[in-house]
Amino acid sequence: MTKDITLTIDGKEVSVPAGTLIPDAAKKIGIDIPVFCYHPKMEPVGMCRQCLVEIGRPAFDRTTGEAVLEEDGSPKINWGWKLETSCTNPVSEGMVVNTKSEKAVKGQNEMLEFQLLSHPLDCPVCDKGGECLLQDLTLAHGGTESRFNFDEKRHAEKKVALSDLIWLDRERCIQCGRCVRFQSEIVGEAVLGFEARGSHTQIMTTSEPGFDSAFSGNTTDICPVGALTTAQFRFGARPWEMEATASVCTECPVGCNTVLNTRRDVKTGGKVVVKRVMPRQNESVNETWICDKGRFTDFSADSRLTAPSIGWTDAIASAAQNLSAADEPIFVVDGSLPNEDLFNIKSLADEVGAKAYCYSEVGGGELTTKSGTYGKSGAGDAILVIGSDLYVDAPIFWLRAKQAVDRGATLIVATEEETRLDNFASTVVRDFAQGLEAAKEAFSKAENTVILYKGDDALAQSCADLNPTSLVGVWNDANTQGAWEMGYEAISDLDVLKGKTVYVAGKSALVASALEVAKFVVAQTAEDVQIAVSITEASGSKCVTLPSRNISESLGTFTSAERRVQLFHPAVPAEGDTLPGFVITAQVAEKMGVTLDIEAEDIFANFFDLSYADLSKTNPEEKLLIGGNCYENTQGVGVQL
Amino acid sequence: MSLAEKYPQEIEKILAKYPPEHKRSAVMALLYMAMREGGYISKADKADIASMLDMTTTEVSSIVGFYSLFHDEKAGQYRLQVCTDIGCALKGADQYLADLCEKLDVKPGETTEDGLITIEEVKCLAACDKAPMFQVQSPEGIKYHEKMTVDTTLALIEELRKDAQEAK
Ligand code: SF4
Ligand code: SF4
Ligand code: FES
Repeated sequence: MTKDITLTIDGKEVSVPAGTLIPDAAKKIGIDIPVFCYHPKMEPVGMCRQCLVEIGRPAFDRTTGEAVLEEDGSPKINWGWKLETSCTNPVSEGMVVNTKSEKAVKGQNEMLEFQLLSHPLDCPVCDKGGECLLQDLTLAHGGTESRFNFDEKRHAEKKVALSDLIWLDRERCIQCGRCVRFQSEIVGEAVLGFEARGSHTQIMTTSEPGFDSAFSGNTTDICPVGALTTAQFRFGARPWEMEATASVCTECPVGCNTVLNTRRDVKTGGKVVVKRVMPRQNESVNETWICDKGRFTDFSADSRLTAPSIGWTDAIASAAQNLSAADEPIFVVDGSLPNEDLFNIKSLADEVGAKAYCYSEVGGGELTTKSGTYGKSGAGDAILVIGSDLYVDAPIFWLRAKQAVDRGATLIVATEEETRLDNFASTVVRDFAQGLEAAKEAFSKAENTVILYKGDDALAQSCADLNPTSLVGVWNDANTQGAWEMGYEAISDLDVLKGKTVYVAGKSALVASALEVAKFVVAQTAEDVQIAVSITEASGSKCVTLPSRNISESLGTFTSAERRVQLFHPAVPAEGDTLPGFVITAQVAEKMGVTLDIEAEDIFANFFDLSYADLSKTNPEEKLLIGGNCYENTQGVGVQL
Repeated sequence: MSLAEKYPQEIEKILAKYPPEHKRSAVMALLYMAMREGGYISKADKADIASMLDMTTTEVSSIVGFYSLFHDEKAGQYRLQVCTDIGCALKGADQYLADLCEKLDVKPGETTEDGLITIEEVKCLAACDKAPMFQVQSPEGIKYHEKMTVDTTLALIEELRKDAQEAK
């Protein structure tokens, strides 16, 4: 444990760990020092000079080393003759900081005037307008008039597509370097850089394709101005018009916490739609980041079925009738369903004595329900990544593995093809057996050991045999882990459905595969079913489709690959007459004489020894680590099983 | 032919000066080499240097972009860089530049028809007391020319042309 240091900021005492930088110490007692380039998750660089403060340090007698006292016995403070950048100064014992003295405020105001010299001030058409740090600080520190000659304002390109996803407006950039440092320090992919210098300094990329990184969207959150924006949200909405609803990413099993920003949209005839996905802080999962796959999730589903073609009453009746009539009905799900849906389906299957399978190409589900969390690894820990290209399969796991290496962890990568993790690994092998061997060796010396694997049952078993602290399956879906926790049996090919009556719930791809072999399919899905319908016609199997709600329309929970259970809330009204998946199952069950719960929270309590309230607890101190537009987590960080 | 293929021994010598984990420190030396080779640093050179030093091409380009004596576009064999910053301007450097350009029938940034001389306007070269002045950047290095007039400059250019002719 490092010793705490006590200092005084604006007359208030605060104690913080040694090494803390002044802006963070100030934030802890509610004092906001204006910053642009500083970000609590990156090394300070002192580039923007906005954070000027007065710093006084206690005087010491050089010969005796004793503190020098004033006449009244208080310590004598030496004040620097000029203002200092607070972000580059770690706290020291007895330090006195004035952030609001006349001299400090004058310095801050003057720096802001410099920022605005050539700023285009196109707030009315800027995507950042309303959530822009430069706007906020201009309000607090800006003058009402520019003393700069308007005709001499610097002009620069306003529409530079750094990639298909990210736009750069060079006129708005204030050269804080946050984006450059995010890519090089945090992600380890230095694909953004500065070019030229002085007032010509500009952001550029020469990677091919441009801005080649799976985390590029995060730079638009931490950019303190509207210089970096996403193509997807370009001119999409004003921040203050949107609602913010807590959700969980559906794109991979990491379970990043997100916020869905929604608004009525004229393009969809006034419907409330998801305008953008933003990160929601959860230091145990995604910190303040999300990957581009998650950020640019497409929630629009135009060709979705919004009510059963034969009406709900008949559809439910037909589903129940066919399932009851079958001598061996089978239930199959995938990991795209929330726990609540999974639980009702499993309950119904159990009641009628049928098998409940979860389709997964990755094996070893039952082995992963015993181990703990992947967590924050560092020095003394060893990680084996085997069979998975995390950069594609679970990008935030990739980032965490890379950061664990930064903190001193040993990383072993065993994949058939080259991956972007190879650069950071201490051992890279293209063969699983060698990977396991290398891990065995490394694990014998390590404190915490983690295996992230993607492969069949045999691979999972060999991984489990190494007895890691955490065994994490890199599943294809967001809630595959939830299915294992609930006792679903794994299935990797659908041959067992041949000629059977099957209740299928999940993605349209699963429905389509089931239709190819089954005799009768009860299909519960929130996705487009057009392909399903055409297959039915071709294969001659019969099908009744029960359109369910998707995650953006639902209340429910996911269990991440690390066994963290997290809650998501409905962000947009349900499309047409779709119903929550668990309600559909309950209605079918009722017709079959089985009673199931129809409230998400009750269903949840049936299985977990937890309540939604438990999942909704937060860690308010974590918000000190936010620098940018990532949402603070006010709706719950979930619970680790 | 890439730099790595053309000068393997020289590159090896340069890299040997730095510990392997800090080999990116060799970037300046390799950029000099590329400048010497072609008078500018091509896209292929950047990619070549980046891969030799485990850097991204963006990082290499960023360094090229920072230094005004690194160029990433092809120009004449001699870059005649005239300072027109305030001190020099007070001594008539801007008029001098305009006159010179007229005589050579180029604009600042352009190259003479024979492809030999590129006229560039630059900031402070720290010799305003001897303005108008310029420096000539060429594969042979950098040379200052001070207290110049259009006539003395044209004479110098004639000599450079002769040198180039002889070298051929
Ligand atoms: S683009 Fe944004 S984050 Fe990057 S340097 Fe400019 S202002 Fe900073
Ligand atoms: S890492 Fe996975 S869970 Fe996180 S944002 Fe990306 S796709 Fe979503
Ligand atoms: S925030 Fe301190 S210099 Fe930029």
